Amino acid sequence: MVNDDGQLYTIEGVAAGMIMLFTVYIVLGATSVYTPGDTHISDMQLEQVGTDALRMMNTQVNGSAGTSPLQDIINNSGVSGFNGPEFNTTFLNYVNNKTGSETDNLHYNATVTYYDIFNTTTGSLPLASNRNLTGGEHPVRVTEWVIVDKKFPGTNVMQNRAVLVEVLLWRD
Amino acid sequence: MTDDGNLSIDFLAGFTIFMVAFIYVATLIPGLFIGLQSRTIDYDAVAYRTGVILVEDPGMPYNPSWETLNDYNKGDILRFGLALTKDTPNILSIAKINRFFCSTAFVYPDDYHSRAVFGDYPYQFNISFQMAGDNYTRSIGDVLPEGYGYSRRVVKIKETSNATIGPGTGSWHSDYEQQVNASVHLFSVYFNYTKLSGDGPDLNNPAYQINPLNPLGEGVVINFTDLDKTTNYLNDSSIYPGLPTNITLTQISMYRSVSLAPLHTVHSPFAGPILDPHDASQYNLYVDGSSIRTTTLPVNITGNMSLFIPPGLLSNVGNDDSSTWLKVTMQFNLTDGQGNPREDWFLNSTQSQPYGAFEYNYNPANVTQPTLQDGVVEVAVW
Repeated sequence: MVNDDGQLYTIEGVAAGMIMLFTVYIVLGATSVYTPGDTHISDMQLEQVGTDALRMMNTQVNGSAGTSPLQDIINNSGVSGFNGPEFNTTFLNYVNNKTGSETDNLHYNATVTYYDIFNTTTGSLPLASNRNLTGGEHPVRVTEWVIVDKKFPGTNVMQNRAVLVEVLLWRD
Repeated sequence: MTDDGNLSIDFLAGFTIFMVAFIYVATLIPGLFIGLQSRTIDYDAVAYRTGVILVEDPGMPYNPSWETLNDYNKGDILRFGLALTKDTPNILSIAKINRFFCSTAFVYPDDYHSRAVFGDYPYQFNISFQMAGDNYTRSIGDVLPEGYGYSRRVVKIKETSNATIGPGTGSWHSDYEQQVNASVHLFSVYFNYTKLSGDGPDLNNPAYQINPLNPLGEGVVINFTDLDKTTNYLNDSSIYPGLPTNITLTQISMYRSVSLAPLHTVHSPFAGPILDPHDASQYNLYVDGSSIRTTTLPVNITGNMSLFIPPGLLSNVGNDDSSTWLKVTMQFNLTDGQGNPREDWFLNSTQSQPYGAFEYNYNPANVTQPTLQDGVVEVAVW
């Protein structure tokens, strides 16, 4: 004889199931989860702005200039070291400029990497920064190869060479 | 026979309803999990794509370029692009920017969606542009909402070259001040198309080129300053007591020369004028700070004059021939204020070597070369 053991109480079961499904549907639909994969978007936007800024700094302003502003900053009129204050002003102008009256507020740390011919190693020299890295930031790295006529460690003469300008760029 | 293994009607009914509900929910799952993906992912990607199209691409059609098509032919434009050429990403043409933001030619969103944003989804968007140091923002599109996909591009804009001719300027030459009394003086500006289109700086980089053959060109500006000081004004009062010498621009003529077949080593004599020399509407002419572009010559000048030869006119009069030599000659008549001719010194290039003209070239002492100005383009999509 069929008894009540193991039976589904149809109406209650269906109703409860529908309520559960509906609840899950509403909850999932109303939630926007910031997945780890989304972080690359803000990184990509920063990389885009930084790359554009370095590329524009490495473009001559007119045909008779001969060198780009970035080349001038690194050459620094033949004096040792770089023109860091000029890099700071120009780079921040580029990366912070927006349409409208508001500006962005980005931070950076820039270095110049060169090849030491004598020791056959690469070396790095600080170029400029507007904030120190403390380790808690999440910076992106943008680079630009620049042809400069300058004396670097490992050589005693001025010579045309390619150096890599590397910028770590982040937003608070 | 026993009842073991039988199914009850209740169970069958319940299981059937459950399966129907399960299948229904399963079909909803793709839409159900949309909320788990950040909504901005797609918008950011579209904004990025639109930004790349605008600042790294010259648009389509390319030759003749899309911005030269008039409003009636705007249907032929397949894709907007603001870059000068495909080889000069991030360096934009001012003529393309002006055309792109022309609200009378293009309608938001349809014209822009199908030529810059693309995609089947009816995105809303806002595209804006601003020159560095300028408070004026040019934009098309809707007001920005709370959240949107975003792309910002740092760009440079190629500006028009110009020459400034007048006593004390860098391009001034003593030959231009003819210290011989005459009532009619000529001053010519000479364009050698072969040199201009082939010998540009930085390996003829389009970003720095003054290319008269390029219909997308930026045009050229010729400024004349202190014209009154090229008359013998210091002695006017003693030579001509009373009113100073009056200066009148009576005509602007264009004369063209081309290389002759079969060797193309010899040029034809300058022939012309090839445009109506009395119709100032072919150029933009500014006299003493006022635009007189629609005025028919002659016009009186007190001290300064600017002649802007717009993009396309040099290409048009050159007839797409790179061997063209062109002379733009301005004729000035001097009078005593009562309409009578007065013989006096004045700006005059006929004695200068080798062409009897001021040469518009890549010499920065003569011509202020095309300069790249900073700017920024922003794209927001939602």
